[in-house]
Amino acid sequence: VTDLDLTADAGGGAVPSAGVSVRNGLMPVVVACAVLGFLLIGWITTPEFVTYSNFQSIIRSAALIGIIAETMTFVTIAGSYVSLSVSQTAAMAAIAFAAFLSWGWPVWVSVVAVLAIAAAVGLAQGGAVALGGNPIVVTLAAGAVLFGSGAWLTDNKTVRTGTDAADWIGTARPLGVTTQTWAFLIITGISALVLVRTRFGRAVTLVGANRSAATAAGLRPGRISLYVFAVSSLGAALAGVFTAAQFSQGQLDQFDGADIDAIAAILVGGAAIQGGEGSATRTAIGAVFIAALQNLMVLRGFSFGVRVFLVGMAILISVSLFTVMRGRRRLA
Amino acid sequence: MRVLQRVEAMTWARIALCLIVFVFFTLRDDRFFTTNNVFTILEGFAFLGLAALAVGVTIIAGEFDLSVGSAAAVAGIVAVSIVEEISLVPAVLVTTAIGAAYGAVQGYLVHRLKIQSLVFTLGTLIALRGVAFMISGENTVVMSDLSISKSVRRQLWIVSPSSLVTIAVFVAIGLLLRYTRDGREIYGIGGGRQEAAAAGVAVVRPLVLAFALSGSFAALTGALTSIKSGSAGPAAFEELLLPAVTAALIGGVSLFGGKGSVVGIAIGALTLRFLISGLSLEGAPFYVLTLATGAVLIVVVVLELVIGPHVLRARWQGWRNRRRWVAEAPPL
Repeated sequence: VTDLDLTADAGGGAVPSAGVSVRNGLMPVVVACAVLGFLLIGWITTPEFVTYSNFQSIIRSAALIGIIAETMTFVTIAGSYVSLSVSQTAAMAAIAFAAFLSWGWPVWVSVVAVLAIAAAVGLAQGGAVALGGNPIVVTLAAGAVLFGSGAWLTDNKTVRTGTDAADWIGTARPLGVTTQTWAFLIITGISALVLVRTRFGRAVTLVGANRSAATAAGLRPGRISLYVFAVSSLGAALAGVFTAAQFSQGQLDQFDGADIDAIAAILVGGAAIQGGEGSATRTAIGAVFIAALQNLMVLRGFSFGVRVFLVGMAILISVSLFTVMRGRRRLA
Repeated sequence: MRVLQRVEAMTWARIALCLIVFVFFTLRDDRFFTTNNVFTILEGFAFLGLAALAVGVTIIAGEFDLSVGSAAAVAGIVAVSIVEEISLVPAVLVTTAIGAAYGAVQGYLVHRLKIQSLVFTLGTLIALRGVAFMISGENTVVMSDLSISKSVRRQLWIVSPSSLVTIAVFVAIGLLLRYTRDGREIYGIGGGRQEAAAAGVAVVRPLVLAFALSGSFAALTGALTSIKSGSAGPAAFEELLLPAVTAALIGGVSLFGGKGSVVGIAIGALTLRFLISGLSLEGAPFYVLTLATGAVLIVVVVLELVIGPHVLRARWQGWRNRRRWVAEAPPL
């Protein structure tokens, strides 16, 4: 059984019920302790870090990556690792939204059209994965095709909306909180509910935890692949729409690195890359944690290189810890 | 035996595809099959082939090294910074040795922590990018003595020192993987890790070797390419993964692990180089090249799913089993 073999039972699948309760008990505690410890260090060393306005700006900067990560969590929990095409999907959505508006389409028609295209793009990738394609490679290729065709269609130029009709989507602040933050919070809530309380959410978890068991139980793993990639694609497209609306333009390189940031949030949140384990709230905490870490480092005047390096180290340490914890549990 | 013939047929199919692309562009454009353009193709092969080898050897071992791009960027900066003080050959050797050491540590940690290499190398992908920005002071590092650059890319008919080095590396690694015990063990742990361990393979050894090879090839790519151009930027090689994976997969490296050959990777890299060179001659912008690479990758993935050796073998066995049941069925 190799690490890339999707047809094999993903690790953690055969954990006995005692293990499940430990899983649900210990992981959030560890995450919460790490976040609290981090906040404490930040508060002691940098007083301006722990202020209400700074919290707002942290959440705001976490929001877009958070939306992408939140919806990609479905892909990870379903055992399809991650999607490497979300930054291109978001950029494509931003360009398409800007183009539709510039053609004089009403705002809601443009939004619906963009989401429909994104869903189709996601379904296509999910279909390739359902047939047995490796998700990493399928999404890597899809991202290249999306980027290439987007650049081709637009001559690699920025597309302007040419109207302010959609500005409110990106710039309004209902109750003093930005629309992006609202969307992030709402999507986190919905994702958490769907994953834990609905049939679909449990099917996603079971397919990720143990594909054969899921098939034996009458689920269709292929169909789940289709849906989760569509969900991930829709989340990325939403991030694209927000950004296009905010800046009144769509640009191809606007989301460079967003996929890596989103994956980082998922991993720091403690989702198991081989599937079956993870939660929407923890991914949200992961996204906020990374944004807070970035924020603290900027406040402390760290250089860009050091910031990138430390974020990488934070990911390495957290995924190593989570893996070791899971390994212990499996042996016990 | 018949299965073997089919696998063999796949290799012939790859060579045929490579030749078709070559002949297509030769007929289409007079400038394609000229000494200078073949030289350019081989120069690109030196870059792409080494990257494909780096990714390919870890995929053969059943793992995935996402960090090759960042490792190449760090290596490029190191090589360009030291080459004027310790001269060309030592600089390349030292950089490659650093890459090998980094890869070995990474392989050991992946083994020791029992962590998915996909997750771990995602962390090092980010952390090393940070290192690249740190050691370069966030600026492009340049060489003042460009005669060293010229000596690396000096044209000798269709080859240069850098493409000769690449060809030598291909021959050496081809022999290593095919004829040495260490090489066979890399295939062993990729094809079936538990079976290999049960057969007495110490999994850690081939795993460390595969990652050390991957790290050293990434470093060699970065060093040669950067010295050749006389400069190294901290953001370089971000798009290395896509063409490297594409070339490896065209060359028949299977994402299920344990399958693929150095000859195949060379054919894959050449095929992709022919395609990119042919399109560039016609004046295609970079995003069309990305689009083409992504499209080829999708075609390869779908082909492997539909007519790959795995599928053929499964069908063949299914057919044989049916025959056996028919043969062993009791007479009515």
